[in-house]
Amino acid sequence: MTGAYLGVDVGSVSTNVVVVDGDGKILARRYLRTDGRPIETVQKGIKQIGEEIGDKVRIAGAGTTGSARHLSSMIIGADIVKNEITAHAVAALNVNPQVQTIIEIGGQDSKIIILRDGVVIDFAMNTVCAAGTGSFLDQQAARLRIPIEEFGSIALQAKNPVRIAGRCAVFAESDMIHKQQLGYNIEDIIAGLCEALVRNYLNNVGKGKEILAPILFQGGVAANLGLVKAFEKYLGQEVIVPENYDVMGAVGAALLARDAVSRKRTTLFKGFKIKDLTFKTSSFECKGCSNLCEVVQFYQDGELLARWGDRCGKWEVQAS
Amino acid sequence: MRISFPRMGYSYIAFKYLVENIGHDCVVPPEPSKKTLDLGVRYSPEFACIPFKILMGTYLEVAEMGADTIITSGGVGPCRAGYYWIMHQQILKELGIEMNIIGFEPPLHDLRDFWKKLKLVWKSGGVSYKEFVRVLQVAWEKLKAIDDLEQLSFHVRPYEVVRGETTRTLWKALEMLDQACTVADIAAARDEGARLLNLVTRDETRDPLRVGIIGEIYVVLEPSANHYLQIMLGEMGVSVDRSIYLTGYCGRNTIVTPEDDVFAMARPYLNEAPIGGHGVNSVGETVLYAKHGFDGVVQLAPFACIPEIVAKSIIPRISRELDIPVLTLFIDEQTGKAGVQTRIEAFIDLLEKRRERKRKGRGRLVV
Amino acid sequence: MATIGIPRTLAYFIYFPFWREFFASLGHNVVVSSPTSKAILDKGVKEAVNDACIPIKLYHGHVADLIGKVDYVFTPRLVSLRKFGEFGTETLCPKFLGLPDMLRASIDDLPPLIDTRVDLRQGRQELFRVCRDIGEMLGAARSDIRRAVAQAKRRQERFQRLLYQGVLPEQAIEAVFGGTLPSVNQGTPEFSVAVVGYPYVVYDPFVNVGLFGLLERENARVYTQEMLPARKMAAEARKLPKNMFWYFSNRALHGALYFMAQKYIDGIIHVTAFACGPDSMVDRMMELQAKQQGGIPFMSIMVDEHTGEAGIRTRVEAFLDMLRYRRQKHEN
Repeated sequence: MTGAYLGVDVGSVSTNVVVVDGDGKILARRYLRTDGRPIETVQKGIKQIGEEIGDKVRIAGAGTTGSARHLSSMIIGADIVKNEITAHAVAALNVNPQVQTIIEIGGQDSKIIILRDGVVIDFAMNTVCAAGTGSFLDQQAARLRIPIEEFGSIALQAKNPVRIAGRCAVFAESDMIHKQQLGYNIEDIIAGLCEALVRNYLNNVGKGKEILAPILFQGGVAANLGLVKAFEKYLGQEVIVPENYDVMGAVGAALLARDAVSRKRTTLFKGFKIKDLTFKTSSFECKGCSNLCEVVQFYQDGELLARWGDRCGKWEVQAS
Repeated sequence: MRISFPRMGYSYIAFKYLVENIGHDCVVPPEPSKKTLDLGVRYSPEFACIPFKILMGTYLEVAEMGADTIITSGGVGPCRAGYYWIMHQQILKELGIEMNIIGFEPPLHDLRDFWKKLKLVWKSGGVSYKEFVRVLQVAWEKLKAIDDLEQLSFHVRPYEVVRGETTRTLWKALEMLDQACTVADIAAARDEGARLLNLVTRDETRDPLRVGIIGEIYVVLEPSANHYLQIMLGEMGVSVDRSIYLTGYCGRNTIVTPEDDVFAMARPYLNEAPIGGHGVNSVGETVLYAKHGFDGVVQLAPFACIPEIVAKSIIPRISRELDIPVLTLFIDEQTGKAGVQTRIEAFIDLLEKRRERKRKGRGRLVV
Repeated sequence: MATIGIPRTLAYFIYFPFWREFFASLGHNVVVSSPTSKAILDKGVKEAVNDACIPIKLYHGHVADLIGKVDYVFTPRLVSLRKFGEFGTETLCPKFLGLPDMLRASIDDLPPLIDTRVDLRQGRQELFRVCRDIGEMLGAARSDIRRAVAQAKRRQERFQRLLYQGVLPEQAIEAVFGGTLPSVNQGTPEFSVAVVGYPYVVYDPFVNVGLFGLLERENARVYTQEMLPARKMAAEARKLPKNMFWYFSNRALHGALYFMAQKYIDGIIHVTAFACGPDSMVDRMMELQAKQQGGIPFMSIMVDEHTGEAGIRTRVEAFLDMLRYRRQKHEN
């Protein structure tokens, strides 16, 4: 059996699981909704992947990323845990070693990563506002009763995109309603929303960054052709959407795992059997001092595997 | 009087000593928690900065704990913080809470007002003038010792083998300081604390990145306001140099020297000083950290902080010209620990890669 | 002779007659940036650091608008305009203090900036020193500068007198440079409303989304703090436990306090800009003071990057309705 690498990216909106070969080519992939249940979703993803290719490959290394990267590393037994910025950069470099700019828009956050000569030299993430993220489009799609999948193709039909003002999602929504009431057609409004998102993104996350080609556009939102077009219009440059744009974080985690195990030559991955294990978390407030830290305990089949959340480290149990 | 005060880092240890030993009851402000912030946000103007909101919450909490007086600092502007005690007083009054807020204005600007307030605090406590002065001195020594120990911990932590050992040792040392009542006791406690910190099991093979921390004083000094960033960085193996300590820019073992020098450093980029708060300092210190070969700088500031916004707009230019990466974290009530951690981790990855490349002799990065 | 650009925002509404006269009498040509528009705002949003408030973004937009049209842009570093406050330390907002440096760090291809430091706390001679520095930089002789300053002062005094008579700044600017004053509506207004806030927010028709026209159509007479002589304002300062640290904030707050105490004022509208730091204090203070001083109707309107006229109109109409109901109730 050939050696392959597992990558898991658990975000607030989606959970992505991929298996790649030594060159980063995807052998299997899953894109699932997290729905606030990260443990079950990771198990489900691993189970499905295992059923698909579990008997064809041997997992030689595993990595996790995303906002629940620490939790998911406990579940699967990861060789490396990395933040999503580094993971996205690694995956993008694997697709296009010349990449100089990565635009990544996810459900709840958005990022820009600037690379030169294959190294990250600058990055930024959105601050408090949701206007530059995917959830903004989701909300508006729901309001217009248009499936989000069709959003992009409808936007492409627009002749004169409406200018929708909006620093913030709430205001943008009220402005959009206003434009609807004025009688603009739906294509122009949707294209206007895409442009509003791009404008917000560039004025916020992209402020002051030197955006040079090649530009890769990653994250679930990159499926939206209207957005791609809006980005190209504003940047005046080609924007490339890589083939596996929606699971790039997971690919990056898998590639990072490949590099991590190349040094130590063993993996901590627990195997596809983890679908059969029971994981549970519980928490308590430590009364040891006035800090009253919330300590989280992580159990596998009733056995305490890890504890975290304490500031002083006295409760700490690390998965070995 | 039952006196309380704003909580900023570990300084409460010294202020508690001060209040109790000049003849008053002390209500030690609890460490700011989610509850503190929720309370504060509820009663603060929307665009007030996070220090205002946390203090608002703290004052409401200590009022509930029985405090009737709050001692805090004033200011002569142009940073908003100098006006906060007035606003806090007005808002508490509006809520029907009887609380006397004594805001000490900088004595150099209004000596009479300063004396009037100091006398009020001293006379009502009932200790002799000589004793009052002695207690002030001891409290100041405590503050200095606290700063010394915390600073030492920043240099020990990146080497620790067992996560948390430095932090636990620091707490133990601070407890000893808490017990000390004379200048001699404090010196002994500090030395013992430093000895213990130096005994933390270290992995000397590590090669920590060096990161400077700049920004607005409250969010830099109060760990709960910055999601324990300095501990977080230390545990990631980064040696932290903090530009601000409560006992001032005394230059003790820090690279940051007195304010005039910082202002001079800032001048080519920001030709006006002061502009309130730590705005000019943030600009000047970025230059200093770059000149001292630090790997990177983290700017910590409250969201909507006026002086730090000025600094933030200028810092990218310094970052470009002096080739030092700067990560700005603007903090408000929405900021989550996960967001801070992700940014910090990515920033550290970036710094490590840069250092690797530089050492490989490829020279400066083309930015 | 040089062409000097003056951004039509920030202190424009209070000092333009002085500086236009000064530059003109030295033989220079003065160009004002276009009135605030969506395009100017867009430029500002693009150039300025994104955490900045709207007025600062607008300022960046106005400066960008002047690029290519002028030899110099007049962007003085306004530190203080008077010695004031408990400690005599009143300045302008920190963002004004750092403004020329922010412009240089953010905008490429800037023409040279005239960014002389204006710190009038220093004493009576300070204004002349500022003018001398600028004049000499432009190559003028000392005697010409002295004459230009005298002329500029006279022009500014005429402007100031018109303001005290109740003329709004933009009309007063036109009038002092040879235009005519619009005829005043002689009818009895239904309401007297005080509008307070920063000149660059209150008087910019784009930023305030036509607030003055709206109030006029509703037959309300408008008073603003610029119509109050300094001594009347100074008396209000003593009502506060402590003055604020910023010139425009103190003016707005003192103006509001003055109007609260006037029987003929029916209500007060505070126009404030999104993300303005000092206003987070000013607005709450006005609100608290309005309550403490007998509950005069008070409303604040926050303007931002995309305030629509519809939104403002709804608020203003509701506010005036409220005043109407109060009056009816009072009369019954």
